[in-house]
Amino acid sequence: MKIYSIPNLRNNKKMNFISIEKILLEFDPKADNLLPALKKISEAFGYISEKEAQKTASYFSLTLTQVFETASFYDLINVKKQPALSIKVCSGTNCTFDGCQKVIKEIENFFHIKEGDDFNPNVKLKTMSCLGRCGEGPIVVINGNVYTRVTASGVDDILKNYV
Amino acid sequence: MPNTKIITEYWGKIDPLKIEDYIAVGGYQALEKFVAGRDAKAALEEIKKSGLCGRGGAGFPTGSKLGMVAGAKNKVRYFICNVDESEPGTYKDREIVDNNPHLLLEGIAITSLIIGAKKAFIYLNGNYRKEEEILEKALEQAKEKKFWGGKILKSGYKLDIEIFSGAGAYICGEETALLNSIEGKRGEPRMRPPYPTEKGLFGKPTAVNNAETVANIPWIILNGGERYSQIDPKKSPGTKLYILGGAVKNCGVIEASLGITLRELIFELGGGMARGKEFWFAQIGGASGRLATVKDLDIILSYDRAAEFPLGSGAVLVVDKTTEIQDLLLSWASFFRRESCGKCVPCREGTFRLWEIAKRMQDGEISDRDKEALDDILWTLDNTCFCPLGKFAAVAFKDALKNFSKEIYKNAINNQ
Repeated sequence: MKIYSIPNLRNNKKMNFISIEKILLEFDPKADNLLPALKKISEAFGYISEKEAQKTASYFSLTLTQVFETASFYDLINVKKQPALSIKVCSGTNCTFDGCQKVIKEIENFFHIKEGDDFNPNVKLKTMSCLGRCGEGPIVVINGNVYTRVTASGVDDILKNYV
Repeated sequence: MPNTKIITEYWGKIDPLKIEDYIAVGGYQALEKFVAGRDAKAALEEIKKSGLCGRGGAGFPTGSKLGMVAGAKNKVRYFICNVDESEPGTYKDREIVDNNPHLLLEGIAITSLIIGAKKAFIYLNGNYRKEEEILEKALEQAKEKKFWGGKILKSGYKLDIEIFSGAGAYICGEETALLNSIEGKRGEPRMRPPYPTEKGLFGKPTAVNNAETVANIPWIILNGGERYSQIDPKKSPGTKLYILGGAVKNCGVIEASLGITLRELIFELGGGMARGKEFWFAQIGGASGRLATVKDLDIILSYDRAAEFPLGSGAVLVVDKTTEIQDLLLSWASFFRRESCGKCVPCREGTFRLWEIAKRMQDGEISDRDKEALDDILWTLDNTCFCPLGKFAAVAFKDALKNFSKEIYKNAINNQ
């Protein structure tokens, strides 16, 4: 029941070389463009490393700490390298009512991991609050692909596509 | 006028991606009326007369907020439409954008012109990718028709509208945190005063209004504030989008007048409980809302400051007996632990400890020490936090402990 996928810029990288300079030049170096720029960089490279942060900082005439301060706050911007498979499950009240705990248990059993831990370097399971499709829960987002109304019995079928 | 529909009237009847459809049903007439009259003061008076309250949760009178910005000395002003809803169970603003984005744009244009703002932002939840595309398309169409941009409808008015997509932080729905976020800082709330109406975005007077509030404005301009105030004149007038979820027949967004009772909402508008389900309690206003049990079914839903059950965002989650209360407790606790911004210690540490205890509750390992600590943590969260988020974290927990302690400690008792 995939309904919407976020364009994965990382895959396009091979065909169309994306450089940090190219992304930065799309934005005016104004304060209200910092967050959109950071979001785009994080999406394109998977995360913001020190190298990219330094370039962003000099482009926006900020210090490195100021850039990291902002970047580390937001959920949609990563400051650490992400595992190959990142799974996010909504654990808001409505999704809980619809049975997201069972879905989480299923995913944990499938990969032999626990929510939030780093035991498997390739897979990370996180619970999130808002994944943008409230009211259609339980919601699972795997590498940017959004699945709605996931049932505990349907989890295996979805996860098989990714292993 | 109990059945007046203001926002949802054309939902499903018009194509949200076609501006012609919206114009055909009388869209943008309010903007035309306002631009022809060129009287911002009179329009502001209409909004004040209507008694419209902010629909984001706090219920601050919209007229006075706009009046404060309109009366500010600084000529550079900003208007921000807040579409950063990430409260669990709340998706009314998303539905507004999905079904009738031009209504929102019309409201934004009128409100910005009333307060004299030359620049308006739409702060969109970072996860609303589809809605971002819809809004971009709608903005493009509206600009072509001169509903915003330079020389609006051949008048001297100028307005620039920009979509600002957030990056996934619940606290950015709070207006001062939202301003910090647009300025490229951490989305932490600011100290008040000064209020955003005096010193907001980049230090300039700024009005931040919820999308639903803004969507009411074209109707008020067109039909007058007097008529709006007659829709349930008891306490706070107007209609409200209620979001029903959980064990009811008709889940989804329902528009009804304010001042209806919870019983009417669930058993008449919502079609009653789903088959085989029995009402246990309802949470009013998303994850930060209070719990209404069977004896509270006749409470009135309105933006009354003295109300025992604040309406908040309008989300109502109906819970039946088959739900594990421990799961819900963990859901609330983990939500606030994740979303606490870390600025003040009581909230950062309190929500974390609350989550730890909720985790133990789920595993049935709760000890007497935890029970004592719980009261302490909840009191601290309630009384000492910097912004309302910490206070909200304690609300549902407190109600649950008061009403359902037997069910919560059920596992623990079995273990002993």
